[in-house]
Amino acid sequence: MELHPVWTVFAYGLVTALATGVGALPFVFVRSVSVRAVAYSNAIAAGLMLGASFGLVAEGSEWGSAQTFIGTLLGIAFILGTQRWLGSHDVEVGELRGAGARKMLLIVVVMTVHSFAEGVAIGSSFAGGLTLATVITVAIAIHNVPEGLAISAVLRPQGTSLAACAGWSIFSSLPQPLMAVPAFLFVDAFQPALPYGVGFAAGAMVFMVFVELLPEALEGASRSAVGLLTAGSLVAMILFQALL
Amino acid sequence: MDPTLIVLLYSSLAASAAALGALPLIRRAEVPASWIGWANAIAGGLMLGSAHALSGAGMALEPFVATGGALLGIGFTYGTHLVSDTEDLDLNRLHETDPTYGSKVLLTSFLHSASEGIAIGVAMVLDLRFGIFMALAIAVHNIPEATILIAVMRGRGVRLLPAAALAVAIDGGQVLFAVVVFAVVSAAPGSTAMMSGFAVGTLIYLVLVELLPESYRQTGPTTIAVLTSVAMGVLILLRGGLG
Repeated sequence: MELHPVWTVFAYGLVTALATGVGALPFVFVRSVSVRAVAYSNAIAAGLMLGASFGLVAEGSEWGSAQTFIGTLLGIAFILGTQRWLGSHDVEVGELRGAGARKMLLIVVVMTVHSFAEGVAIGSSFAGGLTLATVITVAIAIHNVPEGLAISAVLRPQGTSLAACAGWSIFSSLPQPLMAVPAFLFVDAFQPALPYGVGFAAGAMVFMVFVELLPEALEGASRSAVGLLTAGSLVAMILFQALL
Repeated sequence: MDPTLIVLLYSSLAASAAALGALPLIRRAEVPASWIGWANAIAGGLMLGSAHALSGAGMALEPFVATGGALLGIGFTYGTHLVSDTEDLDLNRLHETDPTYGSKVLLTSFLHSASEGIAIGVAMVLDLRFGIFMALAIAVHNIPEATILIAVMRGRGVRLLPAAALAVAIDGGQVLFAVVVFAVVSAAPGSTAMMSGFAVGTLIYLVLVELLPESYRQTGPTTIAVLTSVAMGVLILLRGGLG
């Protein structure tokens, strides 16, 4: 019996989502969650997210700079709005309330939103044949690992369990299998929206870095430590994407 | 025109743009702290946008060498801060008469302008049009940076014109480094990826260590985040428009 191609597309998307959970693994070995450790985690997450958005913007600009820029502005506005909304509501995530819970929700929202564009990329890559789709899927799956790391770097120091870190990481990538299928079926309709989507994701991530992660990192650690960790992880992320 | 002359011309133009930083101070002796925060954030966003453009070019040449260059740039800037004891220096104190503080501000500003000069020089080697774009981006970014520097000097009683002239002179490091790096990298094209990586590393590190921490203290993170991300986006948009 042969599977409908839609199932293959869905399965490919699911693999990339599960890969995000792998990002939680390093936290098996990291137990201490001192103020400084939280600051270091924030600094590393900031670098990884900035690096990821560097890659996204470069990709979006190939399809259209203006569309990517409009997407970026929308992404910034979206996070600004979400932040305001979360600020005016009493947020509770598990045991956590207040500022910690707000930040956790915000990073999960940012990463989930950014997965939509990746899901569309997986789905539309099938138009170029199975080989291209496999390459793109493997690339996105590997690329998701540091994203899971970025999410876990924010969640774990707040006291979230390891399983929950992996769970939220995978959750943030669930739009990938879900978006891959319609993108595969209606590839022509989705293609023009890609630069907007990619720009949106980049804007949301960059804004999240500057509004939450860096200020908090600078509160808990020296400037040079934050500079070294963020710049180092940013450069590593750029290299990582260049090699994929 | 000889390419070296083009580098000299545009990097001088970038440095001279610093004089425009005096404009907001014509009618007032001091600027509010929030203005300084905004200026830092815009300058930081433009520097990150420039780093983005350069990193793409360096990575396309030799990814590992460019990365090595970037790490070297980060390490070098960290080292110079450490050696000159300017690691946690607040560059924006408006009232302070200690001459040691003054000399540290000048040294840090000079090192800062040196890495921007390297960025212009390398970009010119990669492609003259890209180099001119980079010089103009640095020119725009020099304006808010000079406003801060001139405000600091005005706070110590320096008159407006000499303060503006000094701000241009400090950015003279950009001209010097742009021309030297252009000449050296043109003569040794094998070093292009390494040098573009180096410029990326220094630019990113300077934004993270010098510009953003100051601006967060001068105004709230939301304003800083909006200004930095939009300034960065505009620069990348313009670069993309040039193709």
